[in-house]
Amino acid sequence: MSSHNESILREPLITGKDITYAKITDDILLPVENKPNKAWWIGFIVAALGALLWVVSVGYTFWTGIGAWGLNKTVGWAWDITDFVWWVGIGHAGTLISAVLLLFRQNWRNSINRSAEAMTIFAVICAATYVVAHMGRPWLAYWIFPLPNQFGSLWVNFNSPLVWDAFAISTYFTVSLVFWYTGLLPDIATVRDRASGLKRRIYSILSFGWNGSVKSWQRFEIVCLILAGISTPLVLSVHTIVSMDFATSVIPGWHTTIFPPYFVAGAIFSGFAMVQTLLLILRKVMNFEDYITMFHIESMNKIIMVTGSIVGIAYLTELFIAWYSGSEYEMYAFANRIAGPYAWAYWAMMTCNVISPQLFWFKKIRTSIAISWVLSIVVNIGMWFERFVIIVTSLHRDYLPSSWAMFYPTWVDVGIFVGSIGLFFTLFLLFIRFLPGIAIAEVKLLLKSSSLQHKTKLVQEGAFPEDQVEFFRNSLEKYDSVTEEDIKALHQK
Amino acid sequence: MESNKKYWKGLEELNQTPAFVEGSTGEFAEPVPVENVLNEAGLSTKTPRRDFLKALGFGLGAVSLAACSRTPIHKAVPYVIKPEEVTPGIPNYYASSFNGQSVIVRTREGRPISLEANPNAIGLNQGTDSTASAAVLDLYDMSKLQNPQIGGKDVEWTRLDQEVIAALNKAQSAGKQISIVSNTINSPATLAAIATLSEKFPATQHIQVDPVSYSGIIEANRSAFGKAVVPSYRFQHAQVVVSVAADFLGTWLAGEEHTQDYIKNRDYKSLKGGKMSRHIQFESGLSMTGSNADVRIAIKPSEEGAVLVSLYNAITGSSLPGGTTNTKAKTAIVLAAKELVNARGAALVVSGANDTNIQLLTNAINTALGAYGAIIDLDNFSKQYQGSDGAFQQFLTAAKAGQVGVAFFLNSNPAYDYFNAEDVKAAIEKVDYTLSFADRADETASELNAIAPNCTFLESWGDASVTEGLFTVVQPTINPVFNTRQVEESLLVWAGVRKSAHDFVKEYWEANILPGTGKAWKDVLQEGFIYKGTATGSSYSANVDVSSVVTAINNDSKRIAGDVELRLYESPNIRDGRWANNAYLQELPDPVSKVTWDNYAAVNPADAEELGLKETGKVTVEANGYKVDLPVLLQPGQARGTVSVAIGYGRTKVGKAGDNVGVNAYPFASLVNGTVQFAAKATISKASGIYELAQTQTHHTIEGRNIVRETSFAKYLQDPNSESGRFADTHQTYDLWNKYEQPGHRWVMAIDLNACTGCGSCIVACSVENNVPVVGRDEVRRRREMHWLRIDRYYTLNSGDEKLTEENEIARAKGLDYEDVTVVHQPMLCQHCEHAPCETVCPVLATVHSSEGLNHMAYNRCFGTRYCANNCPYKVRRFNWFNYWNDSRFDNYLNNEFTQLVLNPDVTTRSRGVMEKCSMCIQRIQAGKLQAKVEKRKVKDGDIKMACQAACSANAIIFGDANDPESEVSKALRNERVYYVLEEINVQPNIGYMTKVRNTFEA
Repeated sequence: MSSHNESILREPLITGKDITYAKITDDILLPVENKPNKAWWIGFIVAALGALLWVVSVGYTFWTGIGAWGLNKTVGWAWDITDFVWWVGIGHAGTLISAVLLLFRQNWRNSINRSAEAMTIFAVICAATYVVAHMGRPWLAYWIFPLPNQFGSLWVNFNSPLVWDAFAISTYFTVSLVFWYTGLLPDIATVRDRASGLKRRIYSILSFGWNGSVKSWQRFEIVCLILAGISTPLVLSVHTIVSMDFATSVIPGWHTTIFPPYFVAGAIFSGFAMVQTLLLILRKVMNFEDYITMFHIESMNKIIMVTGSIVGIAYLTELFIAWYSGSEYEMYAFANRIAGPYAWAYWAMMTCNVISPQLFWFKKIRTSIAISWVLSIVVNIGMWFERFVIIVTSLHRDYLPSSWAMFYPTWVDVGIFVGSIGLFFTLFLLFIRFLPGIAIAEVKLLLKSSSLQHKTKLVQEGAFPEDQVEFFRNSLEKYDSVTEEDIKALHQK
Repeated sequence: MESNKKYWKGLEELNQTPAFVEGSTGEFAEPVPVENVLNEAGLSTKTPRRDFLKALGFGLGAVSLAACSRTPIHKAVPYVIKPEEVTPGIPNYYASSFNGQSVIVRTREGRPISLEANPNAIGLNQGTDSTASAAVLDLYDMSKLQNPQIGGKDVEWTRLDQEVIAALNKAQSAGKQISIVSNTINSPATLAAIATLSEKFPATQHIQVDPVSYSGIIEANRSAFGKAVVPSYRFQHAQVVVSVAADFLGTWLAGEEHTQDYIKNRDYKSLKGGKMSRHIQFESGLSMTGSNADVRIAIKPSEEGAVLVSLYNAITGSSLPGGTTNTKAKTAIVLAAKELVNARGAALVVSGANDTNIQLLTNAINTALGAYGAIIDLDNFSKQYQGSDGAFQQFLTAAKAGQVGVAFFLNSNPAYDYFNAEDVKAAIEKVDYTLSFADRADETASELNAIAPNCTFLESWGDASVTEGLFTVVQPTINPVFNTRQVEESLLVWAGVRKSAHDFVKEYWEANILPGTGKAWKDVLQEGFIYKGTATGSSYSANVDVSSVVTAINNDSKRIAGDVELRLYESPNIRDGRWANNAYLQELPDPVSKVTWDNYAAVNPADAEELGLKETGKVTVEANGYKVDLPVLLQPGQARGTVSVAIGYGRTKVGKAGDNVGVNAYPFASLVNGTVQFAAKATISKASGIYELAQTQTHHTIEGRNIVRETSFAKYLQDPNSESGRFADTHQTYDLWNKYEQPGHRWVMAIDLNACTGCGSCIVACSVENNVPVVGRDEVRRRREMHWLRIDRYYTLNSGDEKLTEENEIARAKGLDYEDVTVVHQPMLCQHCEHAPCETVCPVLATVHSSEGLNHMAYNRCFGTRYCANNCPYKVRRFNWFNYWNDSRFDNYLNNEFTQLVLNPDVTTRSRGVMEKCSMCIQRIQAGKLQAKVEKRKVKDGDIKMACQAACSANAIIFGDANDPESEVSKALRNERVYYVLEEINVQPNIGYMTKVRNTFEA
């Protein structure tokens, strides 16, 4: 598979010694083929309790009505849509990694795409729950689709961004699911081949009869490429349409043409942060340090920094345009964000989203696992506040001051949000327990080209000039999975 | 006897054959092939294809047939014999009267569902105040008594009658008084019934006492003119009005009629003629009237007398001592006096104090201004308030001395609303037999021996005469719902006269009122009223010893002068407390403070800061030996060093909705110079605890936005377009959407901001018409009141020449005294935008535009995303957060089977999770169009009236067809003052507003 030698200047994507195809399979399937450890159980119980809280809170809302939340006549959306946009945004990294990076032949995606896509699917599920739960009469949620009906000529309003949204989210979910599952097929087949009994039967059904023939692989590659092509526009379209839920309105602070690119950048920003949060734990707990390396962490931090800067520019542009528009309502909306009753939320957003990612300019920080992990959470806190600021501070003081009001969440609002995080982690923990958390087949592709052991071999064979090898050696210093010994081995014999 | 005979069923049994013996042990004589069925082979028997198809066919057919049956309809019981006058679905209208106002009661299938002013009563009040609109709810009040009671136990009327007659006879023979304590009764028939009783029992005395007393005016007029009456005030003849603490547009005397008359000199028609009156108000708390004044000066209660003295001096050129030292008041008085003198004959001064001396001085001023005659009418005087504080004092003294044998309480609840309730209770204890006619076991009734529950006016025959010469009839629109009996009948029974109320009232009218009018009883029932008074009053001159009056005023002012002075006032909604159990009125926000479901201590924000008080704080108020904690309200416009508290709250035995709402403030009052007075020296201090008042509006400044446009009268005279903006004339607009023809009607509205006083009666009328739920204090605190129509109220703080309209400006300004404020009221409802932002965002087309320019709401289709409400720039959409019609949390308001009978059957109640908003009374439009169709004609202008419009005495709301260029609304919308709120965002609202014009003093 690796007919050519990759430049030594490129950092390795797999570290460790004596890595074989078999070892990769063994390492990655370790959590799937063995009983879960204590850490998994603790995590699962906590997450499941969170999911239970979600069930209770949503159940209570369905029983009594939306009045269980803190909304009022002025603020008709608050935590519900904040959480919805937050989850949809988080979902974005998965598609970006699986589709866009595939098209751009970014091989480093191979180790992280699986869990990123799983995260996307679970995040979109969480988001979709809000679409239904925030409705006054959720049992009629299917009316959002243009279904033939016996009510006469009742149809949906194709002018409404909420209809676009329903299409966007459902398309996105479907395509992401298909893409994720297609990618899983060879790996499920691997699990099947190594399993026995009932487990084997189940995985056998799940693998859709994958036989590993050349023809299968060829078709697999083509399907993945086609799905990547289909998904790529979705990366842009979904959050563009979500942003139109606001941008097409007349409310100052919502009615903004900058929203589509700003929301997409924000979504990638928060999505990568969530991937970072999950993978840093995953690689530690599951001993995936050799497959998810410092290079991956640093790359993702760079993306977070770039998208964070885009978001920051968007914030400043908004302020400028508000002033430049000369519209008193627009100006007030932004003055109110900065210095109104919800200024604390605005400044929390600014600190978390604009200032904190700038720390990644420092290599020390972007290669520090602990700081990266903390900052990835800070970013997602910031992105939650961004949506809160957009939704609540725009609504709570719009045109007529007589209606200005504050929003105070109830326990149900908090319960549903915390519960949705529980739901998300429940699904994610079940995923890593039952399916390979790293794409086995795709990582194997890298072994003969981008692994440290392969590069070491080439160096020892004297395939590269010394100054390049020196550069390579230096680049390995940040790796926590590379030992002194490994670096010493990087000398020509 | 037991029989030994045995019967056998067959020879087998007789012979006991082995086969029979074996067979008789089991349940079945022959073995049942259970085993065959349950064994493996039986269970795996294959159903033959034909059997399967047969079963399938039968199943399908059966299910289809079952599905074809109609859904059963519950509780729709047709008339067995249809009453001639009732057509299901068509309302019936009856002329009646409420509190003496001629009204039309609308009934549907025998249930009264709303009240409107009698449109034929030209010259009389053409609107309804909030209490009149809400009154129909009291009929369906579940807290009322269902039977007469003795000692708290239900009894039969006969038993009660026996007991009462015995008590009356006993009192009569013992030579003790028989006292009927009532509030003012102006009903000739009721008075005649009382007279009938006193014929039988000559010891009967009728004592009238009003919780809010106007004894001061009566006594002053007795002294000055020899006529112990409250005059009628004709504000339409007054071009300059000075009011000293009289809330004459709201609670003072006949607020609605004053409003109607006062607005005639200020609305768009008057402005078109280049005329506008000037109104100067001196008061301590910011009343609704004060909020409408052109010039308002905040004064302490103790300065009221001094202001009148200064005014008297300035008008007559005399120099009596004790004029005001308040510099702002002084300046205003000089200007006001000049205006008043220039407008002699069209100038009026009114005073709200219930003090004989102050009213005497007011009389002297009005005499000097020549107000008696056209403006102050002593001939066609008001009979709304005849209560005498002195008479009630005498009753208490007599009762305590044991001289009263029987006491009846009619519409009177002194154990709650008299300042010294303990005294009343002590007096009641000394009376041998006591009875109340209250419809519920209220604070007084529950202390008495018996209750003979009266019917509501909707269940009674009766009449009223609120001004001399005006007679209105009360006719029932429903049989008594409970086992109640109207008071007239009770009195007649006890007097030994067997006559129905109907016969009694009819005979009384035929004997005393109808002669000379050429009308028969039937005509009166159709028309509702008779007017026999004169056109205008004749001129009077007050005979007042001014210098001694002024001396008395000066002495009295010293009594209440203090660092902090308390002023009690009547809430425009709950009034003296009698409406406390009416959920519509409890939820109606105060016109100025926008507080619902509570009373509070209103203090000036600057004073509050000095005391360390914040919003949601509590304050201890102490006056006249009564001390109580109240939630604090920071009220701009409140005079420094004063605190205002509303009476009428803190009732304990009024019903589920009204019990323990607010704090009773009556004990703060005191008896001075023989009248009950509502001002006192007080102390206030910060109390512990927090209390959040339920306000429907919590942001009070307009932030410099042009949503309310105002100008001064002087500028208006120069240019009628002044400040109206005329955005459409100067800006090019572009449409995203297709333009649709609207060939038929185009329903629009015009709202005259100069006419709207902010009273809020339209809100109640709208709620009654459209079944708008009442949600209660907690939900209002969460900002979830459901009113389709609200009245926005904005303050502008004046600091020197600066006008502060922004929150930040006010926060930055130092040393504001918060006394000088101007106020605007803006009715806000669905604007039925042609480019409605709500319509484009609804995913399911639940809100769409009609070809008649209305923004419709299809409740059935709505699934509650709330995007429409978010996207509404006016924030007029209301979401059903809960199922208000089937949720025990809302049981005390409208949600119970009995109270729901008040609902208008033409309007559906909305379920949980559905958006609602002003429909422009679509049911009324539809009814009007159908009526025109039946009569084979076009809809005429004025055929269709909105509920809010019908309630508005000021005619501030004009509704009609914009496609008819001659309609009143088309004419109004062509007015130069018309602008559209937020017209710059091009949503093209269908409701035009007219600029607010203030007739301020020009510097």
